[in-house]
Amino acid sequence: MALPRLALIALLLAPATTLAGPDFEAEVAPVLLRRCLECHSGADPSGKLDLSTAAGLAKGGRSGPAAESIVEKVTAGEMPPKKGGKPQPLPKAEVESLRAWVAAGTPWPKGRTLDRDERTTDARGGRDWWAFQPVRRPAVSPGHANPIDAFVRARLTEKGWAPAPPADPRALLRRLTFDLTGLPPTAEELDAFAADPSPAAYEKAVDKLLSSPHHGERWARHWLDVARYAETCGYERDQTKPHAWKYRDWVVAAFNADKPFARFVREQLAGDELPDRSEETVTATGFLRVGTWNDEPNDPDEYTYERLEDLVGATTTAFLAVTVKCARCHDHKFDPVPQRDYYRLAAAFWSGPVKPGPRELLGGPTKEQLGYDLLGWTDTSATPPPLRLLKKGDPARPGEPVPFGLLSLAPSLDMPVVPPKAGAKTTGRRLALADWIADPKNPLAARVWVNRLWQHHFGAGLVRSPDNFGFTGEKPTHPELLDWLAAEFVANGGRSKPLHRLMVLSEAYKQASVHPKQAEYAAVDAGNRLWWRAERRRLDAESLRDALLAASGRLDLPKVGGPSFVPDISPEALEGWSRKGAEWTPSPADEQRRRTLYAFVKRGLLPPTLTVFDAPDTTLPCAKRDVTTVAPQALALLNNPFVHQQSEALAARAGAGDDPVRRAWRSALGRDPRPAERAAADRHLADQTKRLGSADKALASLCHVLLNTNEFVYLD
Amino acid sequence: MSRRLFPCGRTRREFVWEMGGGVAGLALSALLAEDGFFARHAKAAGSPDPLAPKPSHFAAKAKSVIFLTMNGGPSQVDTFDPKPALQKHAGQPLPADKKFINSGGRKVGFLTPAARPFRPGGKSGLPVSDFFPEVRKHADKLAVVRSCHTDSHAHGSALVMLNTGKTFIGRPSLGSWAVYGLGSENRNLPGYVVILDKRGGPISGQPNWASGFMSAAYSGTLFRPVGDPILDLRGPAHLTPDAQRAQLDLLAELNQQHLDARPGGQELAARINSYELAFRMQAATPEAVDLSKETKSTLDEYGVGKAPTDEFGRNCLVARRLVERGVRFVQLYSGGGHLEETWDAHESVEKNHGRHAAEVDKPIAALLADLDRRGLLDSTLVVWGGEFGRMPFSEGKGEPGRNHNPYGFTVWLAGAGVKGGTAYGATDELGFEAVEDRVHMHDLHATVLHLLGLDHEKLTYFHQGRNERLTDVYGHVVTDIIA
Repeated sequence: MALPRLALIALLLAPATTLAGPDFEAEVAPVLLRRCLECHSGADPSGKLDLSTAAGLAKGGRSGPAAESIVEKVTAGEMPPKKGGKPQPLPKAEVESLRAWVAAGTPWPKGRTLDRDERTTDARGGRDWWAFQPVRRPAVSPGHANPIDAFVRARLTEKGWAPAPPADPRALLRRLTFDLTGLPPTAEELDAFAADPSPAAYEKAVDKLLSSPHHGERWARHWLDVARYAETCGYERDQTKPHAWKYRDWVVAAFNADKPFARFVREQLAGDELPDRSEETVTATGFLRVGTWNDEPNDPDEYTYERLEDLVGATTTAFLAVTVKCARCHDHKFDPVPQRDYYRLAAAFWSGPVKPGPRELLGGPTKEQLGYDLLGWTDTSATPPPLRLLKKGDPARPGEPVPFGLLSLAPSLDMPVVPPKAGAKTTGRRLALADWIADPKNPLAARVWVNRLWQHHFGAGLVRSPDNFGFTGEKPTHPELLDWLAAEFVANGGRSKPLHRLMVLSEAYKQASVHPKQAEYAAVDAGNRLWWRAERRRLDAESLRDALLAASGRLDLPKVGGPSFVPDISPEALEGWSRKGAEWTPSPADEQRRRTLYAFVKRGLLPPTLTVFDAPDTTLPCAKRDVTTVAPQALALLNNPFVHQQSEALAARAGAGDDPVRRAWRSALGRDPRPAERAAADRHLADQTKRLGSADKALASLCHVLLNTNEFVYLD
Repeated sequence: MSRRLFPCGRTRREFVWEMGGGVAGLALSALLAEDGFFARHAKAAGSPDPLAPKPSHFAAKAKSVIFLTMNGGPSQVDTFDPKPALQKHAGQPLPADKKFINSGGRKVGFLTPAARPFRPGGKSGLPVSDFFPEVRKHADKLAVVRSCHTDSHAHGSALVMLNTGKTFIGRPSLGSWAVYGLGSENRNLPGYVVILDKRGGPISGQPNWASGFMSAAYSGTLFRPVGDPILDLRGPAHLTPDAQRAQLDLLAELNQQHLDARPGGQELAARINSYELAFRMQAATPEAVDLSKETKSTLDEYGVGKAPTDEFGRNCLVARRLVERGVRFVQLYSGGGHLEETWDAHESVEKNHGRHAAEVDKPIAALLADLDRRGLLDSTLVVWGGEFGRMPFSEGKGEPGRNHNPYGFTVWLAGAGVKGGTAYGATDELGFEAVEDRVHMHDLHATVLHLLGLDHEKLTYFHQGRNERLTDVYGHVVTDIIA
């Protein structure tokens, strides 16, 4: 008789799963994950109640057993708590699921641990977020020579829309030349292309531009924004960082050589750790050195952690577009980045010179440690002390030691971390991190990279938040296209030039910036998310200055690379400098004719003529510049002496032959004036000659106007 | 609790910028709309204008702010925070239990009384030292916060803290937040104006008035109080106004033809109008600093034309004129460059503060009186303070200078919504550190925004996945000094 009784007891005590109740995975887990676990899980669960495991539920919280009170608190509207003063009542169905679950005795599948990061809810992204899923190469629907058009046209066709007609050949070549080299085409090049705008002629132009040394100069500028590049430390002394320009030149060369992406990543993060390390690869680690550095931090210990944040932030923003640094003080609020992950990654840099060292080293290693007299990075020890997680990010509250590791958001990509070999000088962690980022299976890196290429050709990314692919960022307008491009990029060995080529050869790229149904389409899609026309773009600060020099015929193009020139800065602008009495010695006039890329970047004294046109402030990575239209820009182009110098040089150039008006137009705008324009110009010349008492000055006045036109400043 | 620590809320998306026109940050579209420009040229799609006037979160006490920045760190115990105990303990060392970072590794001397005596001012009897005899006459207008503290002992990072709420460069400044939150009332003048001391800019330079991760449209504009106030206001001398007008007319004609071929080109239309605005700015900004219409008695009151008050007096008068014209945020620096050229009184408080206070005392008093007379003080908040204070001890025997002190110092506020004649908070009996009703720079920022009608927890800017705030996850409004 004992046996049946035991059986009965066993039945009563059996895990409640055997009892009827709602399907845990389908009905209960989603509610708990979405509504409760934000607070009731983790190391320090709210009210001491951990709802991520059966044991936590059974244990209850500070206010006693949980099961009974869950339904009570939810129906009373106490839970979830108010947000910004507003109640957050659960939908009825969810309340009913919980009620049924509690009534059934809160059955919980054996061994099941709910993980807040396991899935995306309406409040946060989980590991199932689109950007963390493996890249899959979608099939390309037939009918288009260029796969890009297959994807773009599919979306337009869905809407019953047609793309804009092809751009005027002159507009197209100008767009292409600026995109690939940051420079304007000459009037002769435009004439030739206008005379023969055949696909073959266009392809020839594309290939010529892609192999130009100026291509690297242009694309280096985009990357230097992301790398928060400047040549000084910032802060009180704002010291010059010797050799910073060599990193800039490394970037230019990398783009010109189309360095494979894996190599691009590995050299910048771990050029000192590569088996084939060389002066070139160590120069690339300048990426880790070009950020700000404060030689007199208030609290040196705290500043050590600020430097870690800069390194983690720059690395993860540049290569992964995930805001990992948000997890320095707490688990990420919106993405599956636990606080522990932040420290796992930070450990990659922990063995480097992050702690305050001698001021003259400017936050870097010694020449001896580095092996070269460069601005570079290396570990100062292969066996650093453990890095501890800081509770609430506070250095005064160190927690458990966190060994180096990679982000947990892509479990498919987990890699074992190999300890350094005996006798190694470095930890090998940065190389492991670089390998992980550059792994063909990394879901983020390739997407982020091709998105940047797209952004700079099309005026906006397929993901319009190029520095944030997480939950608070934007979703791709064309997810399949993004994946196809990423897959293509990986398949061709991480080379960018084939992708540039593919993009600029697409019909989507070659269309006009004005659509016959402009008003109708714009009313629905003002942001041009469907790419129904080309985006009109204002020249950025550097392209604008280069274009002014090109128009005046004074641009010094042949000299690629080398130490920066010190730009002319007006005495008025120097007044904002604390070392006003100190010497600001601009380079000789000849040097001022170099491309803007080569202007010395001093954090405490950025040239106002560049910042007014939205050049970045260099303290944080900048993936997308603002484009503002403000009156001080007009003042700069109307009155700045540099612009007048170019106007006068342009006038001298135009006046040196027949038909100065035509010559001025061709130099500035790359085309002949139209009759109405010529008439207006002739009137202007006549009137200004009278006013200014000089035909030369009148011609300079005309040239000055041309350099101020929208046509000069915008790309169609 | 958790809400205060974790502010990564999401109320605003970056794409708001492109919702209207496809081009980020058209600064001029509202102005153009006013002019009926879009009606004529392009379909207005409500493209966002970063500087368009915006409603405050709640009724604002202040429309404008004048921030008198005493660069270098004025000494609290010598100016607005009397410490009789320093007399008693003079010559003794600071008690050993008071820990501090000895900034710059300077000599640590002995407790030293105030260089000049304090006297009560106004009906409130608020004590102010003889460094500020003129300001003392306005004691009843001041709310003196004696319990300020900050996060850095070094000028570079403390200045950036004072201006941006963090010791690290790269964040938007207080003035940027103000124009971001409220826009600008006068479109012919910048919304956020910074006037530096002729001796030079503050340490760390531009990041002190930059807009950090915000659009550059919100950054401070450097203004010179004499001649051309802003950069590139005037072309070469031979280009007479007539000749320039002819240029602008030709430019407008060419741009119009260009625009006609590009329907919907709002960004082009906005840029066309930016030239008209620039042309107006060329007149409006010199007018704002042109003191020729001010009466002699006003000029005298500010000390314009007389040493040593001429420069700061002129700046204060220009500040009043800017506020009158609707400029949102004006910041004046006293002290520029390094060391004794600023309030950084390492050598001698008497000598250093004697020099700098003599430059600013009369002008500040005149500013308060003038704003009051014109009815502008009700809508203008005046803030006075530096990046930190100074130590109650000297830098050595017979060396009457004082080192940096981030642990306790004084900032005062006056004008719109401020309870005058008030002393708030306290440092310890030696004036070393804030002990009562401590006010961190975040609290000061929260209070300034509050007086502008802005909730510092709601004024956010979405950047890199986070709703950034001036006060980060900190800040309490100091309600006790608000009338």
